[in-house]
Amino acid sequence: MAGRSTSGEIAAGDAAYARPAARPFWRLHFQRRITLWGIGFVLPTILFFAVFKFGPMVWAIELSFTSYDMVSMPAFVGLDNYRKLLADPVFRESLVNTLVYIAGSTILITVASLGLALAINTRVPGARYCMMAMFLTNLMPIIAVCLVWRFLLHPFGLITQLLQPFGIDRVDWLTSQSTAMPAIIAVTAWRFAPYFMVVFLAGLLAIPKDYYEAAEIDGAGGLLRFRHVTLPLLLPTIFFVVVISALLSARIFLMPYIMTGGGPGNATRVLSMLIYETGFSYMKMGEAAAISVVLFAIMLVFTMLQMRLFMRGERVHG
Amino acid sequence: MTVLAEPPGGRTLRGHFNHYRRWLGLVPLLVLTVAFILPILWMTTTSFQAGEKMFQLTTDWIPAEWHPENYPNALSRAAFPTFFLNSTVVSVIVMVGNVVFCTLAGYGLAKFRFPGDRWVLLAILCTLMLPLEVTLVPTFLVVYKFGWLNTYQGIAGPLVIEAFGIFLMRQSILSIPSDYIEAARIDGAGELRILWKIIVPQCRPALAVLAVFAFRDSWDQFLWPLTVISVNEYRTFPLGLVAFGEDYGTPPTEQMSIAVLATIPVFLLFAVLQRWVNRGFGLSGLK
Repeated sequence: MAGRSTSGEIAAGDAAYARPAARPFWRLHFQRRITLWGIGFVLPTILFFAVFKFGPMVWAIELSFTSYDMVSMPAFVGLDNYRKLLADPVFRESLVNTLVYIAGSTILITVASLGLALAINTRVPGARYCMMAMFLTNLMPIIAVCLVWRFLLHPFGLITQLLQPFGIDRVDWLTSQSTAMPAIIAVTAWRFAPYFMVVFLAGLLAIPKDYYEAAEIDGAGGLLRFRHVTLPLLLPTIFFVVVISALLSARIFLMPYIMTGGGPGNATRVLSMLIYETGFSYMKMGEAAAISVVLFAIMLVFTMLQMRLFMRGERVHG
Repeated sequence: MTVLAEPPGGRTLRGHFNHYRRWLGLVPLLVLTVAFILPILWMTTTSFQAGEKMFQLTTDWIPAEWHPENYPNALSRAAFPTFFLNSTVVSVIVMVGNVVFCTLAGYGLAKFRFPGDRWVLLAILCTLMLPLEVTLVPTFLVVYKFGWLNTYQGIAGPLVIEAFGIFLMRQSILSIPSDYIEAARIDGAGELRILWKIIVPQCRPALAVLAVFAFRDSWDQFLWPLTVISVNEYRTFPLGLVAFGEDYGTPPTEQMSIAVLATIPVFLLFAVLQRWVNRGFGLSGLK
């Protein structure tokens, strides 16, 4: 600032035309003003995330070493909460369920949405309308999705009716140990695949047509073209879909909460349900925070992957 | 899109076949589509059925007897008008907040250089792993400290800015040539004027996608309102609907009526913004 005002004085003394109007000291340099505008645009977001995302994250880690019931002050207990969790069979079951759920729904969502995108991408007339219709499943309120599917998967529900002609007898989808989790995974895919279908479509549209034409001239059939043109060029999109759907599935709460209530037994209890129950039904905030930290660690893995992808994308964009 | 030429010659048999063959591909696609929207159709038709039809081993896709009275009955069983009003207020706050702040942040991150801008970008990316489900307990304590329990701002507050929206807007704004902005600056346009007159009009597709998703995400919130709301005046409809379902003896058909009513606003918003959403879809896949 000081340096600039001296140069201003020199300019003012030197010649009037060099700096027609002396810049008042409170007017910032043009470039600096633009930079400040940029910071100003981002600032609300930074503050917001500090208060509602990063602050709570730090607080969660802190709380996880304490015992806190919202009535008395938090008391430091060291690693007790984590030790308790490790010894708790319900926690271990929920952790495994969460991982199984993440793996299952991520794979199913990715495969299904890629399949749907390829089907739409055949550009048959009306494909656009089919896409829009399918996308509706992604807009339906998730609570409605859960309630509807709970009825559809009921032993006397529509799914049983539809499967009967194929000789499949009634199955207690949501109330038997072996089918409850797969059923929830299937519903998750039904809900989210159309969204990722749109993502894949964008990826497919970005592949230059020349590549296909060149492959066709070389005599590559449909399957070969998919294997050697579509798949490699779509790899970044596939990666993106896998990471985002894994992050989405890691936070699942409502589907098991409504459709199975975590049952039968604990077959579909996931970590987010455990966080809510521990924290707000039993008022063990410290222990709930410890579970949060575990869930956070799971999501961290996928976020790191996402970050690598993002940085690579940035480098390409320049 | 239609690269296929008209059938050659005066429509020979083969020409006819080629002409209609492209429609043939629609059949598997149509089957898939129907499979996907079947539950939505089921929900709609069930909402008009008599209560006892639910679990019989046949489904009347067109009700033998229409029971439109399911709707008023369901609405009067609990304070659903209030619940819907609450959901609407919260979702509109969240939608407007996301549209405004994500546009600002997206613009700031796409077209401005300032010290630490890369770190801000990475920090925002990191919030993807901090959804409310993970930070439930401390976020609840933050809202509690603010004295926001049982208020609209309590439900909407933590949702007002989402990383998804910022990346969507940034990606969309990146594709606008910086020359436009420079030219406007040289012409003496203020920064806010540039944002409003140059950036926003070019981002309509992304803004439409953002509006739809922000509204839907807020409309869908369950765990968070369940945590911060304990009085009926501020319950949102999903809480009401679940309480309604647990209530023994309420006909499931009436639950479906509420589910249909809850679906309508999201579909409507989608339909209204559809013109832009279609173009914006391509963007959502980028980042």
